[in-house]
Amino acid sequence: MEVSIKKGAFHKPESPDEKPYLIGSRCSSCGYMCFPKKEVCVKCVRDDCMEEKKFGPYARLDSYAVIQVAPTGFTAPYIQAYVVLEDGPKIFTLITGCEPRDDALEPGQKMELVIEKIRDDEKGNSLIGWKFKPVEEKNKS
Amino acid sequence: MRHVCIVGTGMHKFGKFLDKSLKDITKTAVWEAIHDADIDARAIQAAYFGNATGGLTIGQEAIRGHVMLRHAGFEGIPIVNVEGACASATIALREAVLAIKSGVYDVVLAVGAEKMYLDDTARSIAAMSTNSDVEIMGGMGFQFSASYAMTLRKYMKKYGWTQEHFAKVASKNKYNGSLNPLAQYQKPISVENILNSRLITWPLTLYMCSTMADGAAAAIVCSEDFARDNGMDFITIAACCLRSGELGEDDDGQRHIAKEAYEVADLGPEDIELAEVHDAMAPGEMFRIEKLGFCTPEKMGELVDNGYFSLKGDLPVNSSGGLAARGHPIGATGLAQIHELVTQMRGRAGARQVRGKSSEFPRLALAQNAGGYVDGSPAALTVTILKR
Ligand SMILES: [Zn+2]
Repeated sequence: MEVSIKKGAFHKPESPDEKPYLIGSRCSSCGYMCFPKKEVCVKCVRDDCMEEKKFGPYARLDSYAVIQVAPTGFTAPYIQAYVVLEDGPKIFTLITGCEPRDDALEPGQKMELVIEKIRDDEKGNSLIGWKFKPVEEKNKS
Repeated sequence: MRHVCIVGTGMHKFGKFLDKSLKDITKTAVWEAIHDADIDARAIQAAYFGNATGGLTIGQEAIRGHVMLRHAGFEGIPIVNVEGACASATIALREAVLAIKSGVYDVVLAVGAEKMYLDDTARSIAAMSTNSDVEIMGGMGFQFSASYAMTLRKYMKKYGWTQEHFAKVASKNKYNGSLNPLAQYQKPISVENILNSRLITWPLTLYMCSTMADGAAAAIVCSEDFARDNGMDFITIAACCLRSGELGEDDDGQRHIAKEAYEVADLGPEDIELAEVHDAMAPGEMFRIEKLGFCTPEKMGELVDNGYFSLKGDLPVNSSGGLAARGHPIGATGLAQIHELVTQMRGRAGARQVRGKSSEFPRLALAQNAGGYVDGSPAALTVTILKR
Protein backbone atom coordinates (compact mmCIF):
# COMPACT_ATOMS: atom_id res chain seq x y z
CA MET A 1 0.00 0.00 0.00
CA GLU A 2 1.14 3.55 -0.71
CA VAL A 3 1.34 5.81 2.37
CA SER A 4 2.25 9.50 2.36
CA ILE A 5 5.33 10.38 4.41
CA LYS A 6 3.49 13.53 5.55
CA LYS A 7 -0.27 13.77 4.98
CA GLY A 8 -1.40 16.90 3.14
CA ALA A 9 2.13 18.04 2.33
CA PHE A 10 2.05 17.42 -1.43
CA HIS A 11 -0.11 16.70 -4.45
CA LYS A 12 0.66 13.64 -6.51
CA PRO A 13 -0.40 13.98 -10.18
CA GLU A 14 -3.27 11.74 -11.26
CA SER A 15 -2.49 12.10 -14.98
CA PRO A 16 0.64 12.74 -17.10
CA ASP A 17 -0.35 16.34 -17.98
CA GLU A 18 -0.63 17.35 -14.33
CA LYS A 19 2.35 18.68 -12.38
CA PRO A 20 3.03 17.78 -8.76
CA TYR A 21 3.26 20.49 -6.11
CA LEU A 22 4.09 20.95 -2.45
CA ILE A 23 1.69 22.50 0.06
CA GLY A 24 3.16 24.94 2.55
CA SER A 25 2.37 28.30 4.08
CA ARG A 26 3.08 31.99 3.54
CA CYS A 27 2.68 34.76 6.11
CA SER A 28 0.40 37.50 4.76
CA SER A 29 1.98 39.97 7.18
CA CYS A 30 5.77 39.48 6.75
CA GLY A 31 6.09 37.16 3.76
CA TYR A 32 7.76 34.32 5.69
CA MET A 33 7.28 31.02 3.88
CA CYS A 34 7.62 27.45 5.07
CA PHE A 35 7.05 23.88 4.07
CA PRO A 36 5.27 21.78 5.27
CA LYS A 37 2.31 23.90 6.42
CA LYS A 38 2.35 25.80 9.70
CA GLU A 39 -0.48 27.73 11.36
CA VAL A 40 1.83 30.11 13.21
CA CYS A 41 4.43 32.45 11.69
CA VAL A 42 7.76 32.04 13.51
CA LYS A 43 8.81 35.58 12.53
CA CYS A 44 5.62 37.42 13.61
CA VAL A 45 4.72 34.81 16.26
CA ARG A 46 1.06 35.25 15.33
CA ASP A 47 -1.56 32.63 14.50
CA ASP A 48 -3.80 34.76 12.28
CA CYS A 49 -1.53 35.49 9.33
CA MET A 50 -0.54 32.20 7.70
CA GLU A 51 -2.11 31.27 4.36
CA GLU A 52 -1.79 28.04 2.46
CA LYS A 53 0.56 28.27 -0.53
CA LYS A 54 1.42 25.81 -3.28
CA PHE A 55 5.10 25.49 -4.23
CA GLY A 56 6.62 23.96 -7.31
CA PRO A 57 7.44 22.23 -9.41
CA TYR A 58 10.80 24.02 -9.75
CA ALA A 59 13.60 24.81 -7.33
CA ARG A 60 17.32 25.69 -7.25
CA LEU A 61 19.87 23.40 -5.63
CA ASP A 62 21.35 24.91 -2.47
CA SER A 63 23.70 22.15 -1.28
CA TYR A 64 24.01 18.38 -1.38
CA ALA A 65 25.99 15.41 -0.13
CA VAL A 66 26.24 11.80 -1.26
CA ILE A 67 25.56 9.37 1.57
CA GLN A 68 27.74 6.26 1.39
CA VAL A 69 26.57 4.57 4.59
CA ALA A 70 22.80 4.13 4.60
CA PRO A 71 20.42 4.07 7.58
CA THR A 72 17.77 1.33 7.82
CA GLY A 73 15.33 1.41 4.90
CA PHE A 74 17.73 3.16 2.52
CA THR A 75 20.29 1.90 0.02
CA ALA A 76 23.60 3.75 -0.34
CA PRO A 77 24.72 5.67 -2.20
CA TYR A 78 21.99 8.30 -2.31
CA ILE A 79 21.90 12.10 -2.27
CA GLN A 80 20.47 14.32 0.46
CA ALA A 81 20.10 18.00 -0.34
CA TYR A 82 18.61 21.38 0.40
CA VAL A 83 16.79 23.13 -2.43
CA VAL A 84 15.27 26.60 -2.54
CA LEU A 85 11.74 26.36 -3.93
CA GLU A 86 10.80 28.79 -6.67
CA ASP A 87 9.18 31.71 -4.83
CA GLY A 88 9.46 29.64 -1.69
CA PRO A 89 11.59 28.50 1.24
CA LYS A 90 14.65 26.27 1.46
CA ILE A 91 13.68 22.69 2.19
CA PHE A 92 15.29 19.33 2.92
CA THR A 93 14.91 16.75 0.15
CA LEU A 94 16.30 13.62 -1.43
CA ILE A 95 17.60 13.71 -5.02
CA THR A 96 16.63 11.38 -7.82
CA GLY A 97 17.26 11.23 -11.58
CA CYS A 98 21.04 11.43 -11.51
CA GLU A 99 24.04 9.30 -10.60
CA PRO A 100 24.85 9.57 -6.87
CA ARG A 101 28.32 10.97 -7.55
CA ASP A 102 30.15 13.69 -5.62
CA ASP A 103 30.27 15.88 -8.74
CA ALA A 104 26.79 15.01 -10.05
CA LEU A 105 25.26 18.40 -9.34
CA GLU A 106 26.12 22.08 -9.21
CA PRO A 107 24.72 24.41 -6.52
CA GLY A 108 22.31 26.87 -8.15
CA GLN A 109 21.18 24.45 -10.83
CA LYS A 110 17.50 24.04 -11.67
CA MET A 111 15.67 21.10 -10.11
CA GLU A 112 12.19 19.67 -10.60
CA LEU A 113 9.85 18.11 -8.07
CA VAL A 114 8.87 14.47 -8.34
CA ILE A 115 6.60 12.53 -6.01
CA GLU A 116 7.85 9.00 -5.55
CA LYS A 117 8.67 6.28 -3.10
CA ILE A 118 11.10 7.27 -0.33
CA ARG A 119 11.38 3.87 1.35
CA ASP A 120 9.38 0.95 2.69
CA ASP A 121 8.11 1.29 6.23
CA GLU A 122 8.19 -1.42 8.92
CA LYS A 123 4.75 -2.74 7.85
CA GLY A 124 5.80 -3.14 4.22
CA ASN A 125 3.99 -0.02 2.97
CA SER A 126 5.61 2.21 0.33
CA LEU A 127 6.25 5.59 1.91
CA ILE A 128 5.65 8.27 -0.75
CA GLY A 129 7.20 11.72 -0.54
CA TRP A 130 8.97 14.50 -2.40
CA LYS A 131 12.28 14.33 -4.25
CA PHE A 132 13.92 16.62 -6.77
CA LYS A 133 15.64 15.76 -10.06
CA PRO A 134 17.99 17.90 -12.16
CA VAL A 135 16.48 19.50 -15.26
CA GLU A 136 18.28 20.58 -18.43
CA GLU A 137 18.19 24.36 -18.73
CA LYS A 138 17.61 25.71 -22.23
CA ASN A 139 19.51 28.71 -23.61
CA LYS A 140 22.31 28.16 -21.10
CA SER A 141 25.28 30.17 -22.30
CA MET B 1 23.23 39.29 40.67
CA ARG B 2 25.35 36.54 42.25
CA HIS B 3 28.48 35.32 40.49
CA VAL B 4 28.55 31.61 39.75
CA CYS B 5 31.57 29.34 39.56
CA ILE B 6 32.79 25.78 39.13
CA VAL B 7 34.75 24.21 41.97
CA GLY B 8 35.15 20.70 40.64
CA THR B 9 34.74 18.63 37.49
CA GLY B 10 34.93 14.93 36.74
CA MET B 11 34.55 12.44 33.93
CA HIS B 12 34.15 8.78 33.30
CA LYS B 13 36.51 7.97 30.44
CA PHE B 14 34.76 8.05 27.07
CA GLY B 15 34.74 4.83 25.04
CA LYS B 16 33.09 1.45 24.68
CA PHE B 17 32.11 -0.10 28.00
CA LEU B 18 29.73 -2.97 27.29
CA ASP B 19 30.04 -4.23 30.87
CA LYS B 20 29.10 -0.90 32.44
CA SER B 21 25.64 0.59 32.86
CA LEU B 22 24.55 4.22 32.64
CA LYS B 23 24.35 4.10 36.47
CA ASP B 24 27.98 3.03 36.75
CA ILE B 25 29.44 5.70 34.48
CA THR B 26 27.24 8.41 35.99
CA LYS B 27 28.38 7.52 39.51
CA THR B 28 32.05 7.68 38.47
CA ALA B 29 31.77 11.13 36.86
CA VAL B 30 29.77 12.56 39.77
CA TRP B 31 32.19 11.35 42.44
CA GLU B 32 35.25 12.40 40.42
CA ALA B 33 33.76 15.91 40.44
CA ILE B 34 32.96 15.76 44.17
CA HIS B 35 36.50 14.63 45.03
CA ASP B 36 37.95 17.21 42.64
CA ALA B 37 36.02 19.95 44.48
CA ASP B 38 37.06 18.40 47.80
CA ILE B 39 33.56 19.07 49.09
CA ASP B 40 31.25 17.23 51.49
CA ALA B 41 28.68 15.77 49.08
CA ARG B 42 25.93 16.55 51.60
CA ALA B 43 26.39 20.23 50.70
CA ILE B 44 24.88 19.58 47.24
CA GLN B 45 21.34 20.96 47.30
CA ALA B 46 20.01 20.07 43.82
CA ALA B 47 21.08 18.18 40.70
CA TYR B 48 20.52 18.66 36.96
CA PHE B 49 20.87 15.53 34.86
CA GLY B 50 21.43 15.69 31.10
CA ASN B 51 20.90 12.68 28.85
CA ALA B 52 19.57 12.43 25.31
CA THR B 53 18.53 8.93 24.34
CA GLY B 54 18.22 6.86 27.50
CA GLY B 55 14.57 6.16 26.72
CA LEU B 56 15.35 4.46 23.43
CA THR B 57 18.76 2.99 24.24
CA ILE B 58 18.33 1.49 27.71
CA GLY B 59 14.54 1.89 27.98
CA GLN B 60 14.69 4.37 30.87
CA GLU B 61 12.47 7.03 29.30
CA ALA B 62 11.16 8.58 32.52
CA ILE B 63 12.98 9.73 35.69
CA ARG B 64 16.44 9.05 34.23
CA GLY B 65 18.25 11.42 36.55
CA HIS B 66 16.40 10.16 39.60
CA VAL B 67 17.37 6.56 38.82
CA MET B 68 21.01 7.30 37.97
CA LEU B 69 21.61 9.72 40.82
CA ARG B 70 19.94 7.55 43.49
CA HIS B 71 22.55 4.97 42.50
CA ALA B 72 25.20 7.67 42.86
CA GLY B 73 24.09 8.32 46.45
CA PHE B 74 21.55 11.12 46.23
CA GLU B 75 18.12 11.03 47.87
CA GLY B 76 15.87 13.82 48.98
CA ILE B 77 17.34 16.66 46.95
CA PRO B 78 15.48 17.96 43.89
CA ILE B 79 16.60 16.38 40.61
CA VAL B 80 15.74 17.91 37.23
CA ASN B 81 15.94 15.89 34.00
CA VAL B 82 17.26 17.77 31.00
CA GLU B 83 17.27 16.73 27.34
CA GLY B 84 18.58 18.63 24.32
CA ALA B 85 20.26 15.98 22.13
CA CYS B 86 24.02 16.62 21.91
CA ALA B 87 23.66 19.78 24.01
CA SER B 88 21.94 18.07 26.98
CA ALA B 89 24.90 18.42 29.35
CA THR B 90 25.42 22.13 28.74
CA ILE B 91 21.71 22.75 29.19
CA ALA B 92 21.98 20.92 32.54
CA LEU B 93 24.93 23.18 33.41
CA ARG B 94 22.93 26.26 32.50
CA GLU B 95 20.02 25.16 34.71
CA ALA B 96 22.56 24.77 37.52
CA VAL B 97 23.91 28.27 36.85
CA LEU B 98 20.41 29.80 36.88
CA ALA B 99 19.59 28.01 40.13
CA ILE B 100 22.65 29.49 41.85
CA LYS B 101 22.06 32.92 40.31
CA SER B 102 18.48 32.92 41.61
CA GLY B 103 19.81 32.62 45.14
CA VAL B 104 17.72 29.56 45.93
CA TYR B 105 20.78 27.29 46.24
CA ASP B 106 24.47 27.72 47.04
CA VAL B 107 25.82 24.41 45.68
CA VAL B 108 24.38 22.21 42.93
CA LEU B 109 25.49 19.38 40.66
CA ALA B 110 25.33 19.28 36.83
CA VAL B 111 25.76 15.92 35.10
CA GLY B 112 25.67 14.66 31.52
CA ALA B 113 25.72 10.96 30.74
CA GLU B 114 25.07 8.73 27.73
CA LYS B 115 25.20 5.02 26.98
CA MET B 116 25.35 4.42 23.23
CA TYR B 117 27.10 1.06 22.94
CA LEU B 118 24.50 -1.68 23.36
CA ASP B 119 24.32 -5.26 22.23
CA ASP B 120 22.07 -3.94 19.45
CA THR B 121 23.70 -1.41 17.10
CA ALA B 122 20.50 -0.85 15.09
CA ARG B 123 18.75 0.36 18.27
CA SER B 124 21.56 2.85 18.95
CA ILE B 125 21.41 4.20 15.40
CA ALA B 126 17.62 4.48 15.51
CA ALA B 127 17.92 6.42 18.77
CA MET B 128 20.41 8.86 17.20
CA SER B 129 18.06 9.53 14.29
CA THR B 130 15.61 11.11 16.75
CA ASN B 131 17.95 14.12 17.01
CA SER B 132 16.01 15.60 14.10
CA ASP B 133 12.31 16.10 13.34
CA VAL B 134 11.48 12.40 12.99
CA GLU B 135 8.33 13.04 10.97
CA ILE B 136 10.22 14.67 8.09
CA MET B 137 14.00 14.50 8.17
CA GLY B 138 14.34 11.35 10.26
CA GLY B 139 11.89 9.54 7.99
CA MET B 140 13.68 10.74 4.86
CA GLY B 141 17.09 9.38 5.74
CA PHE B 142 18.65 12.62 6.99
CA GLN B 143 22.21 12.08 8.22
CA PHE B 144 24.19 14.39 10.46
CA SER B 145 27.46 13.53 8.70
CA ALA B 146 25.91 14.62 5.40
CA SER B 147 24.62 17.79 7.01
CA TYR B 148 28.22 18.68 8.02
CA ALA B 149 29.35 17.71 4.50
CA MET B 150 26.81 20.06 2.90
CA THR B 151 27.97 22.98 5.01
CA LEU B 152 31.65 22.21 4.34
CA ARG B 153 31.08 21.93 0.58
CA LYS B 154 29.70 25.48 0.63
CA TYR B 155 32.80 26.78 2.40
CA MET B 156 35.06 24.87 0.01
CA LYS B 157 33.44 26.47 -2.98
CA LYS B 158 33.29 29.96 -1.53
CA TYR B 159 36.53 30.20 0.47
CA GLY B 160 38.84 27.55 -0.97
CA TRP B 161 38.83 25.23 2.04
CA THR B 162 40.10 21.81 0.93
CA GLN B 163 39.75 18.20 2.00
CA GLU B 164 43.41 18.40 2.99
CA HIS B 165 42.58 21.20 5.47
CA PHE B 166 39.87 18.97 6.91
CA ALA B 167 42.31 16.08 7.32
CA LYS B 168 44.80 18.42 9.02
CA VAL B 169 42.17 19.48 11.56
CA ALA B 170 41.18 15.85 12.16
CA SER B 171 44.85 14.84 12.54
CA LYS B 172 45.51 17.66 15.01
CA ASN B 173 42.54 16.54 17.11
CA LYS B 174 43.57 12.87 16.99
CA TYR B 175 46.98 13.96 18.24
CA ASN B 176 45.38 15.97 21.07
CA GLY B 177 43.23 12.95 21.93
CA SER B 178 46.35 10.76 22.06
CA LEU B 179 47.55 12.91 24.99
CA ASN B 180 44.20 12.73 26.83
CA PRO B 181 43.90 9.66 29.08
CA LEU B 182 40.10 10.09 29.20
CA ALA B 183 39.69 10.20 25.39
CA GLN B 184 37.95 7.41 23.48
CA TYR B 185 40.62 7.34 20.75
CA GLN B 186 44.21 7.76 21.90
CA LYS B 187 46.11 7.09 18.69
CA PRO B 188 47.58 9.85 16.53
CA ILE B 189 46.62 9.45 12.86
CA SER B 190 48.50 11.08 9.97
CA VAL B 191 46.87 13.44 7.49
CA GLU B 192 47.50 10.87 4.77
CA ASN B 193 45.84 8.03 6.68
CA ILE B 194 42.85 10.21 7.45
CA LEU B 195 42.45 11.07 3.76
CA ASN B 196 42.78 7.39 2.85
CA SER B 197 40.26 6.10 5.39
CA ARG B 198 36.81 4.98 4.21
CA LEU B 199 34.64 7.64 2.59
CA ILE B 200 31.56 8.40 4.73
CA THR B 201 30.16 11.26 2.66
CA TRP B 202 32.50 13.41 0.62
CA PRO B 203 34.52 15.32 1.80
CA LEU B 204 34.30 13.42 5.10
CA THR B 205 36.23 10.21 5.72
CA LEU B 206 35.88 7.76 8.60
CA TYR B 207 38.68 9.17 10.78
CA MET B 208 37.20 12.66 10.59
CA CYS B 209 33.94 11.51 12.20
CA SER B 210 32.87 10.83 15.78
CA THR B 211 31.48 7.39 16.54
CA MET B 212 29.23 6.01 19.24
CA ALA B 213 30.55 6.25 22.79
CA ASP B 214 29.67 5.69 26.42
CA GLY B 215 30.64 8.33 28.95
CA ALA B 216 29.69 10.85 31.59
CA ALA B 217 30.91 14.20 32.87
CA ALA B 218 29.95 16.34 35.84
CA ALA B 219 30.59 19.67 37.50
CA ILE B 220 30.02 21.07 40.99
CA VAL B 221 28.56 24.55 40.56
CA CYS B 222 28.29 27.08 43.40
CA SER B 223 28.15 30.76 44.24
CA GLU B 224 31.48 32.59 44.36
CA ASP B 225 30.69 33.58 47.92
CA PHE B 226 30.36 29.93 48.93
CA ALA B 227 33.65 29.10 47.18
CA ARG B 228 35.46 31.99 48.87
CA ASP B 229 33.97 31.32 52.30
CA ASN B 230 35.17 27.73 52.05
CA GLY B 231 38.58 28.56 50.63
CA MET B 232 37.91 26.67 47.39
CA ASP B 233 39.80 26.98 44.10
CA PHE B 234 37.16 28.25 41.66
CA ILE B 235 36.68 29.08 37.97
CA THR B 236 34.04 31.74 37.26
CA ILE B 237 31.27 31.10 34.73
CA ALA B 238 31.32 34.44 32.90
CA ALA B 239 28.56 33.38 30.50
CA CYS B 240 26.46 30.26 29.98
CA CYS B 241 24.05 31.03 27.15
CA LEU B 242 21.38 28.91 25.53
CA ARG B 243 19.36 29.65 22.42
CA SER B 244 17.42 27.69 19.82
CA GLY B 245 18.32 27.71 16.14
CA GLU B 246 16.63 30.18 13.81
CA LEU B 247 16.38 30.99 10.12
CA GLY B 248 18.10 34.35 9.82
CA GLU B 249 19.50 36.10 6.75
CA ASP B 250 23.05 34.80 7.15
CA ASP B 251 22.73 32.95 10.42
CA ASP B 252 21.15 29.78 11.72
CA GLY B 253 21.58 31.07 15.26
CA GLN B 254 25.27 30.27 15.74
CA ARG B 255 26.46 33.85 15.25
CA HIS B 256 23.60 35.14 17.38
CA ILE B 257 24.49 33.06 20.42
CA ALA B 258 28.22 33.87 20.12
CA LYS B 259 27.38 37.58 20.16
CA GLU B 260 25.13 37.12 23.18
CA ALA B 261 27.79 35.20 25.12
CA TYR B 262 30.49 37.81 24.44
CA GLU B 263 28.11 40.55 25.57
CA VAL B 264 27.20 38.72 28.77
CA ALA B 265 30.89 38.06 29.55
CA ASP B 266 31.79 41.60 28.47
CA LEU B 267 34.65 40.56 26.21
CA GLY B 268 35.32 39.62 22.59
CA PRO B 269 36.59 36.63 20.62
CA GLU B 270 40.11 38.15 20.62
CA ASP B 271 40.26 37.67 24.42
CA ILE B 272 39.67 33.90 24.33
CA GLU B 273 42.81 31.79 24.88
CA LEU B 274 41.41 28.28 24.50
CA ALA B 275 38.22 26.81 23.01
CA GLU B 276 36.37 23.52 22.88
CA VAL B 277 33.95 23.48 19.95
CA HIS B 278 31.28 21.05 18.76
CA ASP B 279 32.87 19.01 15.97
CA ALA B 280 30.91 15.77 15.61
CA MET B 281 32.82 15.64 12.30
CA ALA B 282 36.27 17.13 13.03
CA PRO B 283 36.31 19.58 10.06
CA GLY B 284 33.18 21.14 11.54
CA GLU B 285 35.63 22.78 13.93
CA MET B 286 36.50 25.19 11.11
CA PHE B 287 33.02 26.62 10.65
CA ARG B 288 32.42 26.71 14.40
CA ILE B 289 35.62 28.78 14.77
CA GLU B 290 34.50 31.09 11.99
CA LYS B 291 31.00 31.55 13.43
CA LEU B 292 32.46 32.25 16.89
CA GLY B 293 34.37 35.14 15.31
CA PHE B 294 37.91 33.81 15.95
CA CYS B 295 38.89 34.42 12.30
CA THR B 296 37.39 35.13 8.90
CA PRO B 297 36.55 32.23 6.58
CA GLU B 298 39.01 33.66 4.03
CA LYS B 299 41.88 33.38 6.53
CA MET B 300 40.92 29.94 7.86
CA GLY B 301 42.84 27.72 5.42
CA GLU B 302 46.11 29.54 6.07
CA LEU B 303 45.66 29.36 9.86
CA VAL B 304 44.96 25.63 9.69
CA ASP B 305 48.11 25.14 7.56
CA ASN B 306 50.16 27.11 10.09
CA GLY B 307 48.95 25.21 13.16
CA TYR B 308 47.24 28.26 14.66
CA PHE B 309 44.67 26.00 16.42
CA SER B 310 47.13 23.36 17.64
CA LEU B 311 48.24 22.96 21.29
CA LYS B 312 51.20 25.30 20.77
CA GLY B 313 49.34 27.64 18.40
CA ASP B 314 47.96 31.09 19.14
CA LEU B 315 44.46 29.74 19.84
CA PRO B 316 44.38 26.05 20.76
CA VAL B 317 41.02 24.51 19.81
CA ASN B 318 39.79 21.14 21.04
CA SER B 319 42.83 20.37 23.17
CA SER B 320 40.84 17.41 24.53
CA GLY B 321 40.72 15.85 21.06
CA GLY B 322 37.26 17.22 20.30
CA LEU B 323 34.22 15.07 19.63
CA ALA B 324 35.88 12.80 17.06
CA ALA B 325 38.87 11.85 19.27
CA ARG B 326 37.82 12.47 22.89
CA GLY B 327 34.49 10.84 21.95
CA HIS B 328 30.89 11.98 21.69
CA PRO B 329 28.50 10.21 24.10
CA ILE B 330 26.00 12.81 23.11
CA GLY B 331 24.37 13.76 26.42
CA ALA B 332 27.78 13.99 28.16
CA THR B 333 29.72 16.04 25.61
CA GLY B 334 28.92 19.54 26.87
CA LEU B 335 30.28 18.90 30.37
CA ALA B 336 33.30 17.04 28.96
CA GLN B 337 34.14 20.29 27.16
CA ILE B 338 33.84 22.15 30.47
CA HIS B 339 35.98 19.52 32.21
CA GLU B 340 38.72 20.06 29.61
CA LEU B 341 38.67 23.85 29.95
CA VAL B 342 38.76 23.71 33.76
CA THR B 343 41.59 21.14 33.65
CA GLN B 344 43.60 23.38 31.33
CA MET B 345 42.89 26.57 33.30
CA ARG B 346 44.15 24.84 36.44
CA GLY B 347 47.29 23.64 34.70
CA ARG B 348 46.50 19.98 35.17
CA ALA B 349 46.35 18.87 31.52
CA GLY B 350 49.71 17.10 31.53
CA ALA B 351 51.22 16.45 28.08
CA ARG B 352 48.49 18.46 26.33
CA GLN B 353 48.72 21.50 28.63
CA VAL B 354 48.45 24.80 26.75
CA ARG B 355 49.86 28.15 27.84
CA GLY B 356 47.94 31.36 28.48
CA LYS B 357 48.56 34.53 26.51
CA SER B 358 49.91 36.49 29.46
CA SER B 359 49.91 33.88 32.21
CA GLU B 360 51.18 30.37 32.69
CA PHE B 361 47.76 28.84 32.04
CA PRO B 362 44.73 30.15 30.08
CA ARG B 363 42.49 32.53 32.04
CA LEU B 364 39.66 32.92 29.50
CA ALA B 365 38.22 29.91 27.71
CA LEU B 366 35.11 29.16 25.67
CA ALA B 367 33.00 26.07 25.03
CA GLN B 368 30.50 25.84 22.17
CA ASN B 369 27.99 22.98 22.07
CA ALA B 370 25.03 22.25 19.77
CA GLY B 371 22.26 19.68 19.75
CA GLY B 372 19.78 18.36 17.20
CA TYR B 373 18.36 19.73 13.99
CA VAL B 374 14.95 21.28 13.23
CA ASP B 375 13.72 22.90 10.01
CA GLY B 376 17.21 23.48 8.59
CA SER B 377 18.82 24.95 11.71
CA PRO B 378 20.27 23.57 14.95
CA ALA B 379 17.76 22.78 17.69
CA ALA B 380 19.79 23.83 20.74
CA LEU B 381 22.84 26.09 20.78
CA THR B 382 25.04 26.93 23.74
CA VAL B 383 28.15 29.01 24.38
CA THR B 384 29.85 29.04 27.78
CA ILE B 385 32.74 31.31 28.77
CA LEU B 386 34.95 30.51 31.76
CA LYS B 387 37.18 33.00 33.51
CA ARG B 388 39.91 32.73 36.07
ZN1 LIG C 1 5.03 36.67 9.59
